[in-house]
Amino acid sequence: MPKFDIPAKIVEQTQLAHGIFLLTVEAPAIQNSANPGQFCMLEVKYNNSRDPMLRRPLSIYKTRTNGQISFLYKEVGKGTRLLSKRRPGEIVRVLGPLGQGFRLIHDRPCILVGGGLGIAPLLLPAERINQSGKLIILIGAGNVSEIPTIEDFSRLTRHFHIATEDGSLGQRGMVTDLLAQTLQEITGMAQIYTCGPWPMMKAVYHMACKKNIPCQVSLEATMACGIGLCLGCAVPKSDSREFLHVCKEGPVFDADQVNWEYTQ
Amino acid sequence: MIHQKNPITKSPNHQITKSPNLSIKIGSLVLKNPVLLASGTCGYGTELDGLLDLDQVGGIIIKGISSSPRPGNPPPRLVETPCGLLNSIGLENVGIESFLKDKLPWLRDVKTSLIVNILGNSVEEYSEIAKKLDGAKGVKAIEVNISCPNVKAGGIAFGTDPEAAANVTRAVKKATGLPVIIKLTPNVTDITEVARKVASAGADAVSLINTLLGMAIDIKSRRPALANVFGGLSGPAIKPIALRMVWQVVRAVDIPVIGIGGISTPDDALEFLMAGARAVEIGTATLIRPSTAGDVLAGIKNYMETNSIQNIEDLRLPE
Repeated sequence: MPKFDIPAKIVEQTQLAHGIFLLTVEAPAIQNSANPGQFCMLEVKYNNSRDPMLRRPLSIYKTRTNGQISFLYKEVGKGTRLLSKRRPGEIVRVLGPLGQGFRLIHDRPCILVGGGLGIAPLLLPAERINQSGKLIILIGAGNVSEIPTIEDFSRLTRHFHIATEDGSLGQRGMVTDLLAQTLQEITGMAQIYTCGPWPMMKAVYHMACKKNIPCQVSLEATMACGIGLCLGCAVPKSDSREFLHVCKEGPVFDADQVNWEYTQ
Repeated sequence: MIHQKNPITKSPNHQITKSPNLSIKIGSLVLKNPVLLASGTCGYGTELDGLLDLDQVGGIIIKGISSSPRPGNPPPRLVETPCGLLNSIGLENVGIESFLKDKLPWLRDVKTSLIVNILGNSVEEYSEIAKKLDGAKGVKAIEVNISCPNVKAGGIAFGTDPEAAANVTRAVKKATGLPVIIKLTPNVTDITEVARKVASAGADAVSLINTLLGMAIDIKSRRPALANVFGGLSGPAIKPIALRMVWQVVRAVDIPVIGIGGISTPDDALEFLMAGARAVEIGTATLIRPSTAGDVLAGIKNYMETNSIQNIEDLRLPE
């Protein structure tokens, strides 16, 4: 699969909520070959500054046919803070599209389960699935302000449900409560796609197992290269003492490949 | 030979400036230029396909290969520090058999010198891998990572014990006719002592520095940032230390020295070449921008043209 490392012009940098940003860049080569669930490595440093020096991995949130791609991201540290200061017209180097995305399955109802900004890699698969079959979207967050772009999802399907821990939007509770209700109504085969905090994905996986429903997860990890050079982004495998690499074999995995019991 | 500052000036009596000769020799091995890709930061080569023209670099040094596959260390394996990267990958690799069968065929088509980095926990393991690489078509040289623990000696790294380092060197030299580069660890009191020992044990060249042992603590979780607690520090933060050690080793041994440590720009590489390094390896910088080695090479060439320097060795500062 071709990868491109290109200087991309920023066309939009919008703060959507406290610490949450939508960045849109012009990167036609990447837009043209990106699959749902893939990611890019973005240079956050200015000019020749060497601190911070590593690029930051961000899921591709949206693509537009005019060659633009968007990233929905949260300011979590120095790198993303620097990135959030970049303005339209400036150039940011983008390497992508990277990794293995979602393997979309069209012959059964698909359930997307997103937690917080874990919704970022789920919009592209949602748009694709929506064209061909039944789509159920379940989104959870601590508070409504953590998920400022839910309208991108809610417009796609009438099977859209939301849960917030403080009850500020939708049902009060966890996204896994929504999933439990949904799974009760599912009779035949289904497919789950999920991304969010590790404990949430673990719970989703266990619920999927009980119903024998296959589940794909999009994982994140600290990365240096994003292309399989350094092997830094390791996640333990379920069936051996070996490791999966989020950047190359992932970021999307069949959930049963992952050792969910591992904690640092 | 007359060097013209301005090659456009034409006169029948004037020679046109020749483009600089970038080729260098490491033992019997001739490299087309002095910019190599460092082990552990260029994977098995294929990962860089389409992002860096491997044909243009002087050599590619494949990540450390052991006798059997190694799964590596548990995560987290990486943490970024100011101008640096701490890693404890744990030498994850596919092992020599899979390397020869699955990785080497693709690499044979790349038009650059292929150097394989090897590692082991015993002198015998180094020797066994070197023997297997000896007859492998396409492999041009071996780089030996001696920063691994010597299991028989209670886990002390070969590279921190000059005698053990010399033993590994002798064993690898005996096992192969290929040029042997010993990669030195900076985690020693006097790196020139180890360099002298491996040189007299028959090393064709030394490369330095490997990563500096370091650590970081995550004050939020109140735990060491790496699962392995300690890791190797690389990146621009270590460049001044690496440069000092290269300078020292160049003046301590007669074999070629390859400089490694935080090289990200042509200027960085030129500093190492001026210190007397015969070649340089680009490591962490490739992780950040895959095309770095090409940019460094172009910058070196440009500097030599601008300053009418004909050979890489001529960059070395006078004593």
